[in-house]
Amino acid sequence: MNRIRKYALSALAVLFALVVFVVPFIFIILMAMKDKQQASLINFSWPTHFQFFANLIEVVQARDYMLLTAYVNSTILTVGSVSLLVIFSAMVGFVLQRRVAWWTPWVDFFILAGLMIPPAVVPTIWLLQSIHLFKTLHGMVLIEVAYNLSFAVILYRNFIATIPRELDEAAIIDGARPLSLFFRVILPLLRPVTVTIIVVQSVAVFNDFVNPLYYLPGKENATVQLTLYNFQSQFVTQYNLLFMNILLITVPPLIIFLFFNRQIVAGMSAGAIKG
Amino acid sequence: MAGLQLKDLRKDFGTVEVIKGVNLQIRDGEFTVFVGPSGCGKSTLLRMIAGLEHISGGELWIGDTLCNDVEPRDRGIAMVFQSYALYPHMTVHDNFGFSLKLARVPKAERDRKVREAAQVLQMEHLLDRKPAQLSGGQRQRVAIGRAIVRNPEVFLFDEPLSNLDAALRVDMRMELSKLHQQLGTTMIYVTHDQVEAMTLADRIVVLNGGIVQQIGTPLELYKRPANLFVAGFIGSPKMNFLDITAGASADGLTSLDSADLSGARVRIAETAVAPGTRGTLGIRPHDLRLSAQGAVAGEVQLVERLGNETVVNLRLSSGKHWLAVLEGDAEVGVGERIGLDFAPDKAMLFDTDGQCI
Repeated sequence: MNRIRKYALSALAVLFALVVFVVPFIFIILMAMKDKQQASLINFSWPTHFQFFANLIEVVQARDYMLLTAYVNSTILTVGSVSLLVIFSAMVGFVLQRRVAWWTPWVDFFILAGLMIPPAVVPTIWLLQSIHLFKTLHGMVLIEVAYNLSFAVILYRNFIATIPRELDEAAIIDGARPLSLFFRVILPLLRPVTVTIIVVQSVAVFNDFVNPLYYLPGKENATVQLTLYNFQSQFVTQYNLLFMNILLITVPPLIIFLFFNRQIVAGMSAGAIKG
Repeated sequence: MAGLQLKDLRKDFGTVEVIKGVNLQIRDGEFTVFVGPSGCGKSTLLRMIAGLEHISGGELWIGDTLCNDVEPRDRGIAMVFQSYALYPHMTVHDNFGFSLKLARVPKAERDRKVREAAQVLQMEHLLDRKPAQLSGGQRQRVAIGRAIVRNPEVFLFDEPLSNLDAALRVDMRMELSKLHQQLGTTMIYVTHDQVEAMTLADRIVVLNGGIVQQIGTPLELYKRPANLFVAGFIGSPKMNFLDITAGASADGLTSLDSADLSGARVRIAETAVAPGTRGTLGIRPHDLRLSAQGAVAGEVQLVERLGNETVVNLRLSSGKHWLAVLEGDAEVGVGERIGLDFAPDKAMLFDTDGQCI
């Protein structure tokens, strides 16, 4: 009896996960394959005419290959901001944890403020304009770094606290200067947090819609999430193309997550510090 | 290789003074042990020598160089930490070679030096492993190997054996001793374990409260402790103490008065204490022997039989507890009243300031 209940509960859980996570995805795939007429019905049905590739080509070619530009932009934005984020926040976390001084509480305050106070859009645009970074991709990279820095610093700082200080001292005696101490000893030990931050932040930055909408207007600057916004007005009667677009921009984060998910688990179970 | 000279070395953390003026000369090739209870400043002193703590006052000379403001990497030292502090993400080989890599030593030479060190420590077969795959003793050896590779002028050890189990500690102690003979380098070793201090050291520095209590060879400290603290700290079990008043002297022997003593005499210079002087008598548990008419009598509270010797915990009539280590399997039972005696030249007298007379 007990065993039956246990399996029944497991089955129920699996079913629930299936409905919540897999069914919408299948719906997207099916919709992306339909023709215009069938797609306009917006129902969960098997496509009568498979025109997956035709839809794909049409979406890619739409608006002068905007989707491809958007992919390039989004990739630069994601890779750039996540790389800077990892390096800067690990460094800040390291200094804050290891070198406690009179200014540390102030830095703590600003980090928490960065988490709590919502960013103000208009002043930010004004600032970006005055330093000529508005409507530029590198300006956008800096914005993403700034918005996500607090969270990453807190994660890194707490993890660095678990690395014994004697390790730093051993490296210092071995002749390590501050930069080589950080890059050769500390940063490799931060791998589990780094992987977590890479996964969480790349997905967040790649999927970011609002910030590029405010700070990165212009057709040549579109990111993938913005193509969706543009297409939605254009393809309002062509749901098959809209869903094809959704499918195309959902796949990269999914791949990142599937790929790094193993690494997160491996990193956590390895217990890099102990011993 | 180099000796060290510490001149009035001081360290304070804000208003708290931890090291209160240490003067010390360590000879080239000497094995020096800093010993003292926890919080006495011995590790701080070592870290000041290593360059991990800033020196608040005084001078530190390593060889002919004034090292107060020299970076740790330029002091010609290597340090072994209590927690080993191995780099967990590097193999043993890379742990050994890390300092050479930082110094941009060519790969071939680095490899040769790593292998030499591994040979000294007999761990060539472990070079490809990561620290997590090693046992406690092996990790300890990696930490030592990392120090050897640097070919330092001074080795610093910060309680390196306290994480090991008792049996391994004895083995590693002997290995360290051998290593010192083999390398002949100056070594400074911090421990709170006086057995380690006694067995390893050429000279011991006893510290308490940031002040050097006594410097000397292990036997000097054991036989002629400078004060009550050293007398109580060196030797296991601890020395027994009793407050006394000095009596008359005759034939080089001075009689002692105390409620717990009858007819006890010690051999000290006749002029050293005038009759009526108050002080403290110190006598090591190993110097007591059973004697029905002995100078000290008390009730047995506890008997520990170790086979080769018997440790007896005795309550004197004043309520004070003494320990006696008796030869072999002494026939004493709990609750029994026994008498103990000691040879007059084995006892030590300390004045009211705790200094040895």
